Amino acid sequence: MAIFRLGDQAPPPARRVTDTVVMRFDHVYEVDPALMELTGQQELPAWDTLRIVDSRWDHLDWMHAHFADDVLLAGEESETLPADKPPADEMPSEERAGPRPVE
Amino acid sequence: MTTIAFKSGVDDAVIDELRAIIGDDDRVLPNTSSRVNRTRVPAPFPVHRWADYMPDVAILPKTAEEVSEVVKLANRLRIPVVPRAGGTGLSDGAVARRGGIQIDCKLMNQIHEIDLVDRTVTVGPGINMLKLNEELRKHGVFYPDDPASYPCSLVGGRIGTGGWSLLGARFGHTRDLVVSMQVVLPTGEIVEIGEGGGRKLRKSSTALNLKQLFTGHQGTLGITTEATLELVPRPEVEFAAFFAYEDYMSAYRTLGDLTKSGLATLAGVVLFDEWKIAYLRRDDEAYIPQPDNVRAVIAVAMYGTRAEVEPASKIVMKLGRHNGGRYLGDEISAGDWASRHDRYATPLHGRDKNGQAVMMSWHCEDAALNYSVLPKVREEWHAIVERYREQYGIFDDWGMFAYTSGPHKPWADYLVEIDIGIWESRLNEENWQGWVNCKREIAEVSLKYGGSITACHGATREGDAHLVPQEMGSAWEVVRRIKTALDPNNIMNPGQQSFDEFYEEGA
Amino acid sequence: MPDDGRLGLDGNGYDPNRDGDLQEQFVEQWRTNAYGCFSSGHKFCREVCPVMQVTRNENHTPTAFHASIVAMEKGLVDVADVADDFVHCTQCGACELRCPNTLFTGDFYRHRTRTVDVVKAMRALMVATGNEREGWKLWNERLAEYHNEPVLGEVPVLQEHVRDWAEGLDIPIGGETILFVDCEAAYYRTSYTRAFAQLLQKAGVEFGLMREQWCCGGPAAEMGYVDLARRHAEHNVADWRAVGAKRIIAPDPHDYIAFTEDYPRYFGDAYDFEIVLGVELIDELVKEGRIQLTKPIERVVTYHDPCRLNKRKGVHKPPRDLLRAIPGLELRDVDHVTQWSYCSGGGAGLPIEKPEITAEISNRRVARAQSLEVDTLVSACPWSERPLTEAGERADEPLEVVDLFELLAESAGIEVGGQTRAPQPEAQA
Repeated sequence: MAIFRLGDQAPPPARRVTDTVVMRFDHVYEVDPALMELTGQQELPAWDTLRIVDSRWDHLDWMHAHFADDVLLAGEESETLPADKPPADEMPSEERAGPRPVE
Repeated sequence: MTTIAFKSGVDDAVIDELRAIIGDDDRVLPNTSSRVNRTRVPAPFPVHRWADYMPDVAILPKTAEEVSEVVKLANRLRIPVVPRAGGTGLSDGAVARRGGIQIDCKLMNQIHEIDLVDRTVTVGPGINMLKLNEELRKHGVFYPDDPASYPCSLVGGRIGTGGWSLLGARFGHTRDLVVSMQVVLPTGEIVEIGEGGGRKLRKSSTALNLKQLFTGHQGTLGITTEATLELVPRPEVEFAAFFAYEDYMSAYRTLGDLTKSGLATLAGVVLFDEWKIAYLRRDDEAYIPQPDNVRAVIAVAMYGTRAEVEPASKIVMKLGRHNGGRYLGDEISAGDWASRHDRYATPLHGRDKNGQAVMMSWHCEDAALNYSVLPKVREEWHAIVERYREQYGIFDDWGMFAYTSGPHKPWADYLVEIDIGIWESRLNEENWQGWVNCKREIAEVSLKYGGSITACHGATREGDAHLVPQEMGSAWEVVRRIKTALDPNNIMNPGQQSFDEFYEEGA
Repeated sequence: MPDDGRLGLDGNGYDPNRDGDLQEQFVEQWRTNAYGCFSSGHKFCREVCPVMQVTRNENHTPTAFHASIVAMEKGLVDVADVADDFVHCTQCGACELRCPNTLFTGDFYRHRTRTVDVVKAMRALMVATGNEREGWKLWNERLAEYHNEPVLGEVPVLQEHVRDWAEGLDIPIGGETILFVDCEAAYYRTSYTRAFAQLLQKAGVEFGLMREQWCCGGPAAEMGYVDLARRHAEHNVADWRAVGAKRIIAPDPHDYIAFTEDYPRYFGDAYDFEIVLGVELIDELVKEGRIQLTKPIERVVTYHDPCRLNKRKGVHKPPRDLLRAIPGLELRDVDHVTQWSYCSGGGAGLPIEKPEITAEISNRRVARAQSLEVDTLVSACPWSERPLTEAGERADEPLEVVDLFELLAESAGIEVGGQTRAPQPEAQA
């Protein structure tokens, strides 16, 4: 059960990933805030970020099922990246923040 | 309350006549808000000249008879008629050039009949393909017309623009998937247009074959009021694989290998060029962490029975790796394929010259080009955009895609796109004209290399439209005869595609 | 300086003492949001919008809501021109969730589509500029007078009756944990509240009621009555503080949204209450064995994902787990993504101004349920249950609509009591 506390809604601090991208929640990329000075960013509480991430995965699952009864995969991992490891000195993993594992 | 003057022969008397025809004041909309919100389409829009492109009144018809009476009225009074379905086109085909009556067909969104024996579904033009397929799913069939706008475009607009589908190499595009239709002609007659006699025939040789003529006309030859569509067996499996290459030419060669492979379940192959990968690295989670030596990407998708797709997928994995390709992995392949509708139009993908994220509108240039010219066109297009970027500061190069475009023929020609961001809120007359010039230069390159200025969006934009006669060449005279024969008063979406010159003095 | 409530994302609301046109201020504040949609123009929102599915009128699209702000900036329209358009919205949140600017990049940019906020802000501008809607004006006048939503029509909802639903349940006033009871649930569908309260009692959860419970203020904010909404929030928080409450249990999704989205904007860091969503609490209690679902319920049901749980909050699993835990029940489910385009039409004041549209939205929801050949439609939001129930009765083959808590209480062996609807005044004559 998720109890809402306002104090818990601030996102974790940002860690750098590339020169234009940072990461706060594990596996959730974010633009470097310095690049949003002209447009401005919104207040996005933690629950909202997690809702968006979960919904995105759900939508992708839905889109596969919409077109075919089953998804066939090559059954192989990335040949361009090492096995997915979160960055070093990470925050404790948000239970719902990680990507959906491919079954 | 604001009012903006009507531009055509529409006046209060005409509004009254329209109300009498439609019989429901809620479906005859001359108020400002209704006109303002039926002006632009997703193509970049000269916001500073919004009022120039507003229709004078919008009609929401329910029947072909209502459409027919309105069109007859328009002919009598020489008022332009602008058909609009979803208004999600990318080249202003549904934008009123000279005011007039917009016929907005969204209320005609019913499924009239599902025939599982002769394998057709008959619908109104206002229905969206995703919503249609939600209904068809329980019958084990689907209608595979799958553009980037799949969640929001409507069948009538797909017919009007002659739409292209991401799955077209396997299942065909809109004109291949529409079996027949009911059309209101520019002079108001309601006619049945198909391959031949029966509504559900796919192939006939009687009289003249008219169906292709009434697909892709951009609303200049009439209005579709009903369509009978193909019902395709729902695929057992979907297979997608993405491969990365160190350079464009390796990806380009792989594109050729895959499309000539003879694999029957191949639904689409997409080539992402270096600029596109650089753009995706900005904010697409699949590409952000990729190493520098991922410079171009090929995506492959297949649909069909498991018995066919599974063995074919092994061949695809071999071909994808053949020119040094590296598989991007199951998660990215599946996820990036399922995201295919959603990757385009995000305004915050725009970057100004300092790398700041700014909201940009998305222009998608959509030429049709043969395989042999793809690398050269890519170079010339990027060079053009770079020049305009430098000069005006409000454009951004979002890279290029090349997609299989031959219906049922992966080996044929390609839909080639360059995606350009435009900082819409900074548009003024000067840089808008700069934009039009940029578009024209890009389109001229397509013609130079024996291509078409539009594979699917239509040549209805400023910058494209005046090149239409050049592209049509000797066939332009045939176009003139047909258009003027069917639409003697230039009622139907006038001002589009340079067709106006057919009606000029001494034409 | 009068307190006009907090509206915008950065907390800046209108200042009526500031020079300059209210409409100008509005456009300035919402311009960035407007261009975020307008520059895309892609309309992925249109087919998921429950109102659009019925009216098919482009004026009612989220696209038009944003484009009209740009048009205002360009002097093409003013508030009066677009006011009626903005009535056509249940604030279900489907559009802003489905929009690729949220779903694909909202988390990346910390900048998402906010159609619900845009609609609320425009309605507030309508109120501030003399473009109020008659039905909403009357409704909120009654709210101002009685401090609860006038859910009984002409019969006033008096504070002295706000706890009548709890008759015989011996629920104390005050304490660390307060149960907040929605207006519709306190006066109209009291079976909902009695079911929920008795489930908590059965599980041994300690809770109390407010001394003086006012409406959460959410609907007033949704209809553009920002000052009124704020005053109700302040009253409720003062009441909570007065009894030493630390935790508020909100069974109704509309209240949950008010307490987790509106109230933090009003009170900032001083807002230190824990808000517990009713269905998540019950789910936990069942999973822990503190509520035993022992009595079989022989029904074939389908579940309606309430908009304010599913789309607005991403809560869709606990209700399904609970339904699957009821013995004897067969659940014919429609997945929660497909349900992004479903709605009852009951939200954001739509039933007051456009009851025929709400009725048609509910008709279609019931028809979808009937195509699954079920005997019951189960929802988890009392505001949805009124229009859905009426649509269920109108249908050619009537379909019963029940609330999830009512079903759970029955399976837990509780005699719920209460009523699923208030008697109509005419019937009493």
